Amino acid sequence: MTPTASELLIGNFMTLIEPPPPESAGEFMAGKIAVTGMISLLLAQEMEKGVSVRAAENRALRALFVEAAEGGWAPALTDGLKSLARGEDQDLTLSALDRANAALRTALIALQTAVEEASGAAGPSAAGRAREKRIARLLRESADARRLDLPPLPAR
Amino acid sequence: MDALQTAEPTTLAQQLSTYLADLWNAPVAIEELARIPGGASRQTYRFDAVSGGVRRGLILRRDPVDSLIDTDRRIEYLAYQSFHPLGVPTPEPLVLDEDGGALERPFFMMSRVDGGKAASPFTVSPYAPNEAEIGRQFFTILGQIAAADPLTLPIAAAAEAPALDRAWARELEHWERELDKDELHPNPIGRAAIRRLRRHPPPPAQKLSVVHGDYRSGNFLHDGEGRILAILDWEMAHLGDPLEDLAWAIDPLWSHFDDTRVSGLVPRAEAIALWEAASGLVADPAALAWWELFNSFKGLVIWISAAKSFRDGGGVDPVLGFTGLYCTRRHDQILAQRLEALLESAP
Repeated sequence: MTPTASELLIGNFMTLIEPPPPESAGEFMAGKIAVTGMISLLLAQEMEKGVSVRAAENRALRALFVEAAEGGWAPALTDGLKSLARGEDQDLTLSALDRANAALRTALIALQTAVEEASGAAGPSAAGRAREKRIARLLRESADARRLDLPPLPAR
Repeated sequence: MDALQTAEPTTLAQQLSTYLADLWNAPVAIEELARIPGGASRQTYRFDAVSGGVRRGLILRRDPVDSLIDTDRRIEYLAYQSFHPLGVPTPEPLVLDEDGGALERPFFMMSRVDGGKAASPFTVSPYAPNEAEIGRQFFTILGQIAAADPLTLPIAAAAEAPALDRAWARELEHWERELDKDELHPNPIGRAAIRRLRRHPPPPAQKLSVVHGDYRSGNFLHDGEGRILAILDWEMAHLGDPLEDLAWAIDPLWSHFDDTRVSGLVPRAEAIALWEAASGLVADPAALAWWELFNSFKGLVIWISAAKSFRDGGGVDPVLGFTGLYCTRRHDQILAQRLEALLESAP
């Protein structure tokens, strides 16, 4: 995912270490510092749950692909789904999990497109509709899991 | 020491003084120059220009080196020129310099509106206890913008006018191109939204309007006592379907964590009624639903672009980093919830 936690932490350092020009030293710099603080709050959550959230999403996508690979798709998609379904996250760094996730998400986009296009003029079959809903639920659950929260900040 | 080592760099204040002296044909002193937060696609400065004993409070909007979104400064300037004379509360535009040589990059200046504050979208209850009154003004002003005939306004000189049945497609195609350009990590939620929006298009726009493009909580100044002083940040203005602005204004991201009020101001139904009364238009529920889904997608793309700009710019703009992280995930979630609900409610 981008920006990564590393990029953001380095960015915070760069923001704080570089002296601003005189015209940016007051309200503007105070605002930038406040935003670096908010980034730190978010990254505290990301450090706590980032690995488990990514690993869970990758597992869910592979499980989906196991079932979906039998959907009678074009050979390239079917082969891709089967190959990815056999994968496993052995490197549990955030960057490695993100690389695996990128491949899985690319395949998911192709699968979801194929599922939607399989619906004829009469609409999707019951199995097709069920698969659409399963994908939509997986996407919503993944988005829910990745959500980061801000504290109730008072207005100034 | 040689001359190169001892020469002082020309400061922005000096550049402004020289530029305004040429413009006004009189000496100008620049005082109280300060950069302020103000939109993510321009650098914004406030300052006093003192000339002939007269002090004028001004705002400079200058193109940045990197930007959250690539926008047309001329259209933004013309938007101010369009609505300031109509009585919509906006700063008075003063000068546009698209060459920008005097200040290193293109810029424009406008009068400063003093005594106001803009709420951060990520704070709680920023308008208390004046939510209802500010909400009445906020959605009424938006209706007035929607009601204006854009082809009679200065903005028509630079903004393309889409056909009524193409307004939605043009916007969708634009933001899809932005996603194609800036997506660093595959986003299946955004891609699903594109396909859904294209398969189920909205009805044609009921009229062509100026669309502010970023009309939301945080992009206006209020006096803290219930009065809106200025609508700001017209950097994404364009011509299109007026429902686009209404749907953006009521997007959950801008709710200030209050599920009962849109933009943290008034209940949704009241906001729509205020907009309809002021615009003379109808917010068809199906059409509005399309634009709500579209705007959550548009927001997602803006934040994805912010993440790319953050990386491309070396990570020195924390606003780009924050929005690329927090807002991307919030709009991912909002959009995924909308898409799932649409499927669940399908026959």
